[in-house]
Amino acid sequence: MTNSNYPDSIIEMQNVGIRYGQGAEVLSDIKLSLKRGSFHFLTGKSGAGKTSLLSMMYLAQKPSRGTVSVFGKNVNFTNRDALAMLRRKIGVVFQDFRLLDHLSAFDNVALPLRVCGMDEREVKKRVTELLQWVELEKHIKAPTSTLSGGEKQRVAIARAVINRPELLLADEPTGNVDNDIASKLMKLFVELNKLGTTVVIATHSDKLITDFAYPRLHLQNKTLRIYRPIDMINSGGLNVR
Amino acid sequence: MSDKNRTMSARKKELPLQDDSSNLFLQVMISIAVFLFGVTLAGVLSINSMLATWNNSILGSLTVQVMPANDVNEKNAQAQTNEQLNKAVELLKNKPEVDKVTPLSDEQLQKLIQPWLGDGVDIKDLPMPRLIDVKLKKGADVDFMQWAEELAQAAPLASLDNHKLWLNKLIKFADGLKILALTILVLVVLITSGAIFYCTQTSLGLHKYIIEILHLMGAKDTYVAQQYAKRTAWLGFLGGVFGLLLAIPTIFIIANLAKQIEGGIISEARLSLADWSVILSLPLFSMVIAMGTAYYTVKKTLEKFM
Repeated sequence: MTNSNYPDSIIEMQNVGIRYGQGAEVLSDIKLSLKRGSFHFLTGKSGAGKTSLLSMMYLAQKPSRGTVSVFGKNVNFTNRDALAMLRRKIGVVFQDFRLLDHLSAFDNVALPLRVCGMDEREVKKRVTELLQWVELEKHIKAPTSTLSGGEKQRVAIARAVINRPELLLADEPTGNVDNDIASKLMKLFVELNKLGTTVVIATHSDKLITDFAYPRLHLQNKTLRIYRPIDMINSGGLNVR
Repeated sequence: MSDKNRTMSARKKELPLQDDSSNLFLQVMISIAVFLFGVTLAGVLSINSMLATWNNSILGSLTVQVMPANDVNEKNAQAQTNEQLNKAVELLKNKPEVDKVTPLSDEQLQKLIQPWLGDGVDIKDLPMPRLIDVKLKKGADVDFMQWAEELAQAAPLASLDNHKLWLNKLIKFADGLKILALTILVLVVLITSGAIFYCTQTSLGLHKYIIEILHLMGAKDTYVAQQYAKRTAWLGFLGGVFGLLLAIPTIFIIANLAKQIEGGIISEARLSLADWSVILSLPLFSMVIAMGTAYYTVKKTLEKFM
C-alpha cells in the first residue's frame, strides 16, 4: 500500500491561511508535516477550524495563502485530473456522512471503486465483505435514507476504507455509534494504520484520546499545535512540542 | 447482465438525471428544432435540385422565336412565318453542335400559355410567335453571337434566346432563398444548443451535492460529463425521431402543393435518394449535437469546482 516514490511526508503545509469570502482568516500560519504511516487525533473546540483543515487535506479546498502539498504535489499547481487521482488515495468519513440517500448501502460503499472503474465482480466481493464486517449485511439493499444515524455512520466509514486508502481522514467517526461499535471501528482504523495507512481523526472524545496513545493536532486561536503522548505522560498534562 | 452493463446501470443511478424536470422540455425543444430543421433542409435541398435542373437547361438547350409576319392577308402572313420557321430549322439542323431541333406544335404552344390565358383561348386567333426548341450536344461550345447573326441573315423574323437572362434572375432569387434557409438552419442549431447548455447547467446546479461527493471519491470531470452526455444523447435522439416523424408528412404535403402548380418552375424541385438519406439521418445529427453540447457544458462548468 505504501509507495516508495512518495516523499516521507504525506501532507505538508507551509504558512497556510484560510478565509471564506472577505471574512477574517479561520486558520492562520498553519505549519504541518504528516509522516507516512502516522496516526493523529485532531482536536479543538467547535468552530476552531477542524473541518476546514480536514477539507484542505482531502482536497476539497485550496488555501487562501501558503502552500499545501499532498503526496508530494503542491495542490495549487496540480491539474484537475491529477487532483482526482490523488483523491482516490484518500478515504474520508464526513461528520454529516455525505451519503447519497437515493442509493442503497451497497451502492454508496461501492462508489469509490466504481469511480476507479473496478470490475463489478470485484466490487461486489469487496463491498459485501466490508458491509458484513460493519454488521450491515441485513441492510445491504436498503436506501441509506432508511438507516439510523449509527448505521449511516458505518456505511460512511465502509465507503472511506473500501479502497484501502493511503490517507484516512475522519471527522467524528465514532460520534453516533455505541461503545462496542466505536471500539470495533477504532480497531479497524488502527489495523489500517498498521498496514501503512496514515490516519487523522477529528474528535471531541477525551476517552478516545486517552485510550489510544497517538499524537494530537490541536487547533486553538486559529493556529495548530502538536502534542505527543510522551509529553502528556511526563508533565501530567499537555506539553507543546 | 454483464459486468460492464451492471457498472453502467449503477453509474446511471449515481446521478438521477432521468428524473430531471427539464428532460421533457429538452425533448420537446429538440423535436421542434428537428421538425423545423427537417422542413427547411428539405427546402434547401429542393432549391439545390431546382438550380441544378435550371443550370442544365441553360447549358443544354436554347429557344428560337419566330415572330409572326406582318401582312394584312392572313394566309400570306402564315406562309411567310412558316417559311422563316423552316429556314431557321434548316440552319440549326446543319450545325454540328446541335443534337435535336423541334418546332413546337400549336397544341404545345396552347399548353404553354394555358396557365396565363386559360382553356378557352384559341392561339390561331392570336398573333403568337412560333417557337423552336433546340437541344445541344453534351459539352457543345456555342458562339451565340455568331449564331444570332447567321439566323438574322437567314430568317430575319427569328431571334435566339439562350434563357440566360431570365434564368439568371431566377437563380439569384433561389440563391437568396437558400441563404435565408441556411441562416434559419444555423439559428435552429444555435438555439437548440443554447437550450441544452442552460438545461445542463441547471441540472448541474441541482445535482451539485452528488457531483461534489463523486469528486471527493476521485471521479474525474469526464466521469460526470459522460453520464450527462449519454443521457442528453438519448433525449436528442428521441426528440429527433419525434421531430422527423412530424417533418416527413409536412414535406410530402408541401411537395404535393408544389406539384399542383402545373407548368410552374417549382415543380422542378425534387428530393433525391441522397437528399432523403440526409433528412432521415437528422435524429443522429440531433443526438450528436445534444451529446457534444452537454459534454462541453459539464466540462466547462466543472472547471469552476475545486
